[in-house]
Amino acid sequence: MKITHLRRLCVAAFVLLALAQAAAAPALIGNKNLAGEKLDAATLKSVFLGKKVAWDGAGRVVLAVLKNGPVADAFLQGAVDMNASGFNNYWRRLAMTGGGTAPKSFEKEEDLRRFVAETPGAIGFVDSAAADASVAVLTPAP
Amino acid sequence: MKTNTSRFASRTALLFAFVVAATVARPAIPVGDSNVQIGGFFSQGWLYSDNNNYPTADKGGTWDFREMAFNASTTFGSHLRVGGQVFAQRLGDLGEDHVILDWAVADYNFNPAFGIRAGRVKYPKGLYGEALDLDIVRPFVFLPGAVYSPILRDFSASFDGGMFYGSINVGKGSFDYKVFAGRIPMTPSQGVSEFYNNAGLYAAPGATALGMDSVAGGQLTWNTPVNGLKFVYSYSQFKNLHTDGPFVAYPPVDVASNIELFTWHTISVEYTLNSWVFAAEWQRSHGDFGYNALPLLPPTIGPVGWDGWYVSAARRLNDKYQVGAYYGNLQTDVNFSGSNPADYQHDIAVCLRYDYNEHIVFKIEGHYIDGTYQTFDTVRIPNPPAARKNDTTVIAVKTTFSF
Repeated sequence: MKITHLRRLCVAAFVLLALAQAAAAPALIGNKNLAGEKLDAATLKSVFLGKKVAWDGAGRVVLAVLKNGPVADAFLQGAVDMNASGFNNYWRRLAMTGGGTAPKSFEKEEDLRRFVAETPGAIGFVDSAAADASVAVLTPAP
Repeated sequence: MKTNTSRFASRTALLFAFVVAATVARPAIPVGDSNVQIGGFFSQGWLYSDNNNYPTADKGGTWDFREMAFNASTTFGSHLRVGGQVFAQRLGDLGEDHVILDWAVADYNFNPAFGIRAGRVKYPKGLYGEALDLDIVRPFVFLPGAVYSPILRDFSASFDGGMFYGSINVGKGSFDYKVFAGRIPMTPSQGVSEFYNNAGLYAAPGATALGMDSVAGGQLTWNTPVNGLKFVYSYSQFKNLHTDGPFVAYPPVDVASNIELFTWHTISVEYTLNSWVFAAEWQRSHGDFGYNALPLLPPTIGPVGWDGWYVSAARRLNDKYQVGAYYGNLQTDVNFSGSNPADYQHDIAVCLRYDYNEHIVFKIEGHYIDGTYQTFDTVRIPNPPAARKNDTTVIAVKTTFSF
């Protein structure tokens, strides 16, 4: 009986873990004024590393990031080859040494999405399920 | 007494300002709805060495080991950013909590490949030269002294001048460049003066004037196609690095010194692999040191310089803990003798970092240092020859609050 419970517990844990992994599917979102911007993987990396500070036609780049969590790790690993902790350190170093303007960071996805929707030039990421029509969902060219 | 009281009051006010700022602020974020960002840190540590005063007067233990900084920056339009940071430190008798302007820049970024930064600009040298005091971004209390001398913090941090910078994508990697020129402001109160005061030319307390004509150099970083792997080459040169002060043998006469050209070459590699960070750097500094105390001492010139390198590894164990270790080697490049402890410094360090939360970190670090090269004997860092030992152990405990 005890073994059966243990098995069920293991299966449930596995399913939850799988769901958590599946949920960490980040979507790149931007203010709707970014719709005309050309974005490829190299440009995206340049944007999130603070090397490209202005859009071609949409004003200043305003970065919005989730503080931590699987969505942040998944997005940042794919975009800039860093996890959230490494990314935070990178920006702390830049901001503290006069090298750049740190991203605005958010605990909650809805706050980030609202900020991006209301801020011209803003770009960020949320879980794909949290992206809605208030923002532009961006797909960088490979 | 008055001076001490006012100094205490100013320190207390500064500390209070930091605490207030830290209480109301969040990490480097806009203030309200504006695009002003503020940030800063305050650290307090305890430093102990058993045999020699290294890196400062800490034999038997001292609480005179702290740093603080406050910065603010904002943007104008799409390309212009301005900002600045004030900084104060106490490292034994160095720094004395005096507030200095650490950096203050106007930065215009035309595009990713080209930008201009001017003002008081952070001095790029090696992997970590621009982030000497940023405890929050590394596990170590002290960066390896073989390349980053702790007593040069107030000298090596920034310069007054300008910099061109940019980044160019090449294949799956990129090259970042920085080219700069300017001048580093120097005063006898800075740690750099201990290099001169240790030379035995000046009567106590030491050199009374220091200066340089210019600093210039560049840095090239290759972010390789291999994730997390980068190589960096840094070069800088000082022109006419000069000092003045009373001659030790006859103080009414001044000794003047000059290094016409002092050069720094630094080659660095860093590899970040999952939770590991590996780094290695090699640095050579060199110049010709000329001095005279006419009519008592005729002009004399001779080489001065040192070679340093280290290898380090750090691993983040989980959200709370990070460990690190390094081995560093520093030695004179003038008549080096492997059998003379005064010619070398071998430094083995291990550290543990604990992140209480995203704002507060604690660190403890132990060093075993074999050799006495750059173990000074000056008024502020006394190590009289009779009491100096060939090795010493250093313990550093430090907590940092950043926002």
